[in-house]
Amino acid sequence: MSLMGTPAVVMDNGTGLTKLGFAGNDSPSYVFPTAIATSSKVGQGSNSKSLLVLLKRGLEDLDFSIGYEALSAASGPNYNLSYPIKHGQIENWDHMERFWEASIFKYLRCEPEDHYFLLTEPPLNPPENRENVAEIMFESFNCAGLYIAVQAVLALAASWTSSKVQDRSLTGTVIDSGDGVTHVIPVAEGYVIGGAIKNIPLAGRDITTFIQSLLRDRGEADSSLQTAEKIKQQFCYVCPDIVKEFRKFDEYPQEKFAQYVVEYADKNKNKVVDVGYERFLAPEIFFNPEICSSDFLTPLPTVVDQVIQASPIDVRKKLYKNIVLSGGSTMFKDFGRRLQRDLKTLVNERIEASERLSGVKSTGVDVLVISHKRQRNAVWFGGSLLAQTSEFKSYCFTKHDYDERGPSIVRNFSLFSVP
Amino acid sequence: MMLQIDPKNLLIQKTLTETIFPEGDSGSPKSLDRIISDFDYTNYHISTLPDNKDLLLISLYLKCWTDLAQYGVEKYLSTKYAPFSEYLTVLTGNDIETSFNFSMVLNLENLNSLGSEEVKLAIIDELALLKRNAMASAFEKAFARYDELAATYADSNTYSEEVQAELQKEQVLVINYRESDESIYIKPSFDRVTVVFLTIFQDETDKIFGKVFLQEFVDARRRSVQTAPQVLYSHKDPPLDIQSVALSSNDENKGYITFVLFPRHLVKGDRRENCITHVQFFRNYFHYHIKCSKAYMHSRMRLRVKEYLKVLKRAQPEAVDEDGKAIDNRKTASGRRFEVGRV
Repeated sequence: MSLMGTPAVVMDNGTGLTKLGFAGNDSPSYVFPTAIATSSKVGQGSNSKSLLVLLKRGLEDLDFSIGYEALSAASGPNYNLSYPIKHGQIENWDHMERFWEASIFKYLRCEPEDHYFLLTEPPLNPPENRENVAEIMFESFNCAGLYIAVQAVLALAASWTSSKVQDRSLTGTVIDSGDGVTHVIPVAEGYVIGGAIKNIPLAGRDITTFIQSLLRDRGEADSSLQTAEKIKQQFCYVCPDIVKEFRKFDEYPQEKFAQYVVEYADKNKNKVVDVGYERFLAPEIFFNPEICSSDFLTPLPTVVDQVIQASPIDVRKKLYKNIVLSGGSTMFKDFGRRLQRDLKTLVNERIEASERLSGVKSTGVDVLVISHKRQRNAVWFGGSLLAQTSEFKSYCFTKHDYDERGPSIVRNFSLFSVP
Repeated sequence: MMLQIDPKNLLIQKTLTETIFPEGDSGSPKSLDRIISDFDYTNYHISTLPDNKDLLLISLYLKCWTDLAQYGVEKYLSTKYAPFSEYLTVLTGNDIETSFNFSMVLNLENLNSLGSEEVKLAIIDELALLKRNAMASAFEKAFARYDELAATYADSNTYSEEVQAELQKEQVLVINYRESDESIYIKPSFDRVTVVFLTIFQDETDKIFGKVFLQEFVDARRRSVQTAPQVLYSHKDPPLDIQSVALSSNDENKGYITFVLFPRHLVKGDRRENCITHVQFFRNYFHYHIKCSKAYMHSRMRLRVKEYLKVLKRAQPEAVDEDGKAIDNRKTASGRRFEVGRV
């Protein structure tokens, strides 16, 4: 072995995006859609046809591409696009196996026999899926070692870079908001409390469409999804109070209103879009969902409170004290601050009521929401952080372990205790 | 198409492209610190120097560097990157980053102010080929020796015993390119260069796939691609060409793959370069395809299982009585029930 050895590979395959990279780096090397474009001549359609394919020997199985290349290939006639991961879980193992094949050999360029791998899985992933992953990683790729970590736990680990975190515990509440769904996941000492998890059907995509609808209502020159997306990323922030914020906009229109210049491939053409109240209204849908959705009406702070209240009583204080944000849709300015304030109000009301009823003085509950710089790829970053420690390899199962005991070994991984 | 593995390191290319052509209007260069890996335990480290963000340090660690050093890799790389000397400085001695073998400093400021777009792209391409170039030094040396030998023996009777004995003694270049003594042997001669790969299969299944795959190689040459180099495969025992340096061992997992490169592959210029690129990536290519075949087999197995499950489902007795009504709880003679919904 060389002095440093080969860096471990960290792969975070999400429903929408896959993050790939090596442990020790501060951001993933590749972020691209978890999409695969396969040649449309193979493997679908009627029964007889697929049996015919079985008899045929060709190179069709190598005729595929992944990520952004897949998106562009699929716009042509000969390829089918598919997303092998649905709702966080792997649905199509054939495609996933080939997706990994390309990720490892083409993009990361490593011989899996020489590297340890850290993969992620969503909370409540069935153990059978884990076994399938192990089967592919060990039997197809002969990877040297494997660790499968729960995404929420990695997000907790990623928050250790924040200066607000004093003790590096694996207890806390993770708010993971990506493109499709927002999850609120309580974690106690590295284990997810499955029964208390709650999902909110509002996330990045809903914010974008909400901005788009506001632009359309005003009749802006360009109201495409891309424009809405850019406005979301560049201009939006969370305000402490909507009414006051509206007033501020009316008093200081110069400072508050902004303009976004839409750029086109054609350099001579451009359009100017005004950016107004959506700057603070868009992220507001987390706190006042009624402004955009008619069927989901519970604000995020209330959901977080419910989740913690549904968890075992002895960890609740710790869950309130360590609320960690993860995912792109939690990146809005002051998102953490607002969440902390609203949640604190809820908690204080409950304490007050209980003090009034019992007459006993409460010792108080700390509410702390932690935002940090690595929020966008928190899960990947947490993985990178853990996989670069010298102990990492001892937590992994090796190819030898797998050969000895079979896929069921991956049902249990020992938890990280990071120095 | 995923048939070939690109000799370029895509990640180096991407990282450098992002640094040299930054997106948006961020005026000052950002600091960068990246670990990048490549096949055969190769590591790169690309980082900006702490005191000057315009200087990019690119370091390479190669498993077989000590072997390559004998064959003049440093000199070869220096000449290879000499055309870019305005922007790229090759470090020597103690300046090389600790625990790396080779370091270069890329001056981003000079490159941005002086370099044209083509130069920038060329520099990115060449740096992405760093590993390939390092490995190529040994091949270049062997090929140069071939040129020499070819010139020496051009007019002599090469079948005579003295000449044969002379050629027999020719030095074999050995590159221990991976851990666990996997090696590349290169032996120049006057009319050919023999390249032998020693590869070790870690897995029983891999060995079998490998055999089938290599058989195809041999057959393909016979059938259609006659201009391809001759490929021979031997199991356990090293081929005669390299018996002077490779010890015969009884390791079941060893396989020797021999490529015989003829003068038509060694024509100077693009063809020779191309030949080096393809031959040195053979092991990666080979193991990649073993893995692809396994993935393909797995998908066929999954499909079959699905078919069989369908057959099994059809065979499940239908619980209906004579009038066509469904009966629940039908029992077998021994009193057990058919459990519906289980497979």
